[in-house]
Amino acid sequence: MDNNLLRIEDLVNNPTPRVPVCLCLDISGSMGAVEGDCVETGETVYEDGETWNIVTGGTSRISELEAGVEAFYKEIREDEMTLYSAEICIVTFGDKAECLADFANIERQQELPRLCPSGDTAMGEGVNLALDLLERRKQEYRDKGVDYYQPWLILMTDGQPNGDEGELARAISRTVDMVNNKKLTVFPIGIGGQADMGVLNEFSPKRSALKLKGLKFREFFVWLSQSLSRTSMSMPGEVIKLDLEGIKGWGEL
Amino acid sequence: MWKIVQCAVQGRGHMQMGIPCQDKTYSLVKNGVTAIALADGAGSARLSHFGAERVTEYICDDLSENFDRYFHEEDGVPVKKALISKSILALDELSRKLNCEIRELASTLLVVAVKDERFILFHIGDGVIGYCKKGELKVASQPENGEFVNTTVFTTSQEALTTMKLIKGKVGDIRGFVLMSDGTEASLYDKKEKRLADVIKKIMNLCQLVLPRKVEEQLRTSFEVAVRQATSDDCSMILMVEDREPFRGYAKLAPAEKARLLKLPAYARPRRLRRYDAILSGLENGRTLKNISKIIRLNPKYTKKYLNRLMGMNFIERRGIKYYTIVIMDTQ
Repeated sequence: MDNNLLRIEDLVNNPTPRVPVCLCLDISGSMGAVEGDCVETGETVYEDGETWNIVTGGTSRISELEAGVEAFYKEIREDEMTLYSAEICIVTFGDKAECLADFANIERQQELPRLCPSGDTAMGEGVNLALDLLERRKQEYRDKGVDYYQPWLILMTDGQPNGDEGELARAISRTVDMVNNKKLTVFPIGIGGQADMGVLNEFSPKRSALKLKGLKFREFFVWLSQSLSRTSMSMPGEVIKLDLEGIKGWGEL
Repeated sequence: MWKIVQCAVQGRGHMQMGIPCQDKTYSLVKNGVTAIALADGAGSARLSHFGAERVTEYICDDLSENFDRYFHEEDGVPVKKALISKSILALDELSRKLNCEIRELASTLLVVAVKDERFILFHIGDGVIGYCKKGELKVASQPENGEFVNTTVFTTSQEALTTMKLIKGKVGDIRGFVLMSDGTEASLYDKKEKRLADVIKKIMNLCQLVLPRKVEEQLRTSFEVAVRQATSDDCSMILMVEDREPFRGYAKLAPAEKARLLKLPAYARPRRLRRYDAILSGLENGRTLKNISKIIRLNPKYTKKYLNRLMGMNFIERRGIKYYTIVIMDTQ
């Protein structure tokens, strides 16, 4: 209490400004594809528009994605500023779009949802659900007097969208409008050789979609949390530039 | 007469990145005008601390020269235009000197100027302008943020004219004005209730009782220890408080007035007040706890309680092992 004019109890406890981040993840059947050392069983399965050989061993895209999301949460937990400002939501799309984890501070999201690959790639439905949830969260911030930063949408897919075409067109149009009006930062990420980079680019009017190198999900999410940390510390007028050197570790422009 | 207290501290984010404090405060008393200004340099603008400094100095000087003309203008738009074009002019001159783009000097701007019984205030961007009227704190101008917290309007923005707030009026029962930057907002402005923290009244009251230099020292310590911790941004504040009934000093007060000032209960024994008298006069040149307990003939354990109470009221301060009186004892 030495020579202090203001004591802690005199101060207003405003909530930390939030950065809403929505992970919109493809969990279609193709995300079960395996890379690395694996042995074919001789069985096949038709899913997500393709015939797949069933194998044992190797590493699946979905398990690497899960590990990447886990690394993302871990990085955020280790950064004091981001821990209190980031709010994550996880939307998945396979046959249908689903919210597996609604927006919350990650201290409240102790259990990460399991990602199970199956079905088609309803990307439009997934993005529309993600944008609806972002809008709803922003309204909640406004109602409660919580300041917030521009929301982030991370869209990850390994294939071609094959859901409702109207939904896809609506999702692209909504995303592009929001990006152009500086209401949203979008990161479309292609996984593997069959990701439709053309469609992903349609979601991103300001910069090209990025292609993940191999299965470097972990590196991507570590990079993402570092960018998030810079954003959560940014001040009025400050433009947060993407660390393009950092992208080299996990992606190709 | 208005007493002025100001403070600006570098934010934690800027300390980490080695960026100077971009918040600047300035005050000027000239031609019968008392003006205070605060500017928060734009985070992305490399030289915004120079711009913030220049624009506060220039605009206070301009108001001291043109206060009457601005005040008598019926239509606010020409005044807004004049204030913005003069700010731009000052920044343009500086940009040529520093060989940089004018947008590198962008900042918010909050100003209050008072002449006789009249005031003018104006505000571009975020931060808060408040005032204290009849013992109640009120907000005169709220922050102008965009939808997102890291967006606002600056002196160099196209929207400066359309979003600028300009208010003029009679001082009347207003006893003080306060300007704060968005970093300080985090701790001293309730964003949901749009209300200023009550402690600002305490600071305004203290400006009457303690030398402004001492209030500033304590304010700076508080900003470094507490206010800065709630944000990564720079934090600044400037207040002007009218000294309508000047405080003649503690020593000049009647016992009842002293008891009121010390917030002693009506049933307090006269001996208690005499102890406070002895402590406050005894600490004018600084003494240790042991020393002062001898003077008031009280066990150090109980003397400490007296000292803590006076510290809590910011009437004394501690430097090392010595305590010093900072409340004004006698103005002569």
